[in-house]
Amino acid sequence: MSFSEEIYRHHDSIVSRRIEDEVILVPIRQNVADLESIYTLSEVGARIWEQIDGRRTTAEILHLIVEEFEVTEEEAEKDLKEFIEQLSAIGAITRV
Amino acid sequence: MECPHIPKIGYGEFGKRLREKIGAKRMPLAGSLELTFRCNLRCVHCYLGDARAGNPEKEELSHSEICDLVDQIVEEGCLWLLLTGGEPLLRPDFLEIYTYAKQKGLLISLFTNGTLITPQIADYLQDWRPFLVEITLYGRTRETYERITGVAGSYERCLRGIELLLDRDVPLRLKSMALTLNKHEIPAMKEYATGLGVGFRFDPMVNAGLDGAREPTNLRLAPEEVLELDLADAERAEEWRRFCARALQLAPDPERIYICSAGMRSFHIDPHGLLSVCIISRGRSYDLRRGSFHEAWHGCLPEVRDEAASGAYECNQCELISLCGQCPGWAQLEHGDQEKRVDFLCQVAHLRAQAFAAQPPAMPSQGIVVGRVDR
Repeated sequence: MSFSEEIYRHHDSIVSRRIEDEVILVPIRQNVADLESIYTLSEVGARIWEQIDGRRTTAEILHLIVEEFEVTEEEAEKDLKEFIEQLSAIGAITRV
Repeated sequence: MECPHIPKIGYGEFGKRLREKIGAKRMPLAGSLELTFRCNLRCVHCYLGDARAGNPEKEELSHSEICDLVDQIVEEGCLWLLLTGGEPLLRPDFLEIYTYAKQKGLLISLFTNGTLITPQIADYLQDWRPFLVEITLYGRTRETYERITGVAGSYERCLRGIELLLDRDVPLRLKSMALTLNKHEIPAMKEYATGLGVGFRFDPMVNAGLDGAREPTNLRLAPEEVLELDLADAERAEEWRRFCARALQLAPDPERIYICSAGMRSFHIDPHGLLSVCIISRGRSYDLRRGSFHEAWHGCLPEVRDEAASGAYECNQCELISLCGQCPGWAQLEHGDQEKRVDFLCQVAHLRAQAFAAQPPAMPSQGIVVGRVDR
């Protein structure tokens, strides 16, 4: 399966919170990478996080990001790939 | 792993950033929730507990009422929540409540006496790791500990609880109240905690009971003894020096009676659902069974928080106010008058200012008798 067809969902060991305009990921169970810290998301990161819902493909998310933010498709795809890898690495998302 | 898209940040640093961002706006970032007034110990200095907590027949918040309140405080922006009591582990639904709050993304601290921690509870806390557990240690010998708690076997059970959490690497800190009965064991308690590799703090500032009872205050150390304990511990003395430097730069506010974050960034909810600005200051509270947290936080607590001082209040004109801990809550418990000076706090503050401030303020010529043993 190519990257664009992949679908991810949030892992239930991490919870996102929006406080003021800060979006954070709070690890809540032991199997998450690091319980001593929280993770903060940028505006784009927070938008991607909202779109990861166990139904949308990465291609759909990429399309939305290109539409909403001033970024080329090439750049956005590279960043999205990295972001998905990093979310997977900290145990925040799993592939459906 | 450090990733460029998802900056990792320590909780303390994030809290500071958040507070700076919020600025002067009111927001309930941190709260405390007493799950019960009931306790399995009978501590001689207890300021609440079943004996002092008003109407013991009044029903505690149910599991579903608590979950509903958790939803409401999360909606308003709460991030740090302290679960306390009484002894919170006495509630049979404690782990369910704890888990619900965790799942909502709250950073949970737990205050417990440690005596009810079982291997099962410790396993659970290892998996669903809290932000922090604080266990109160009342002595470093069975005799002293149980003289305070009034329950045979409680010392061993407390030590066992500590071990169970440490074995599982649950974030833990120990603390104590420094009383006439255990003052001599404070250094040994700290040594024990240090040996275990966990933090330790103690508090000698014993307040009167929630019902105004004076009994707890009879166990206070003399102000000079409080200072002796501060000076005996180099680390603590240094902390007081740093705190004095900050506190003495803050200007008093002669217009208001509250100077802290109570009702601005923090709140307290008791086991019956009464919301107040803090755990000590409960003179005016709001029944969350009759209205929402949103209504109370935005509509009612500002009135408490912004209460103007009468001309007769002397403490909010004192340059040591940020150092001493004088507040409407303490004064209400001590005197039944939220603007009356608590002499014990005042005397300790003057002694600390003399000992730790780089430029100690002048001693008052009258009003405060420093050197007198006054509990």
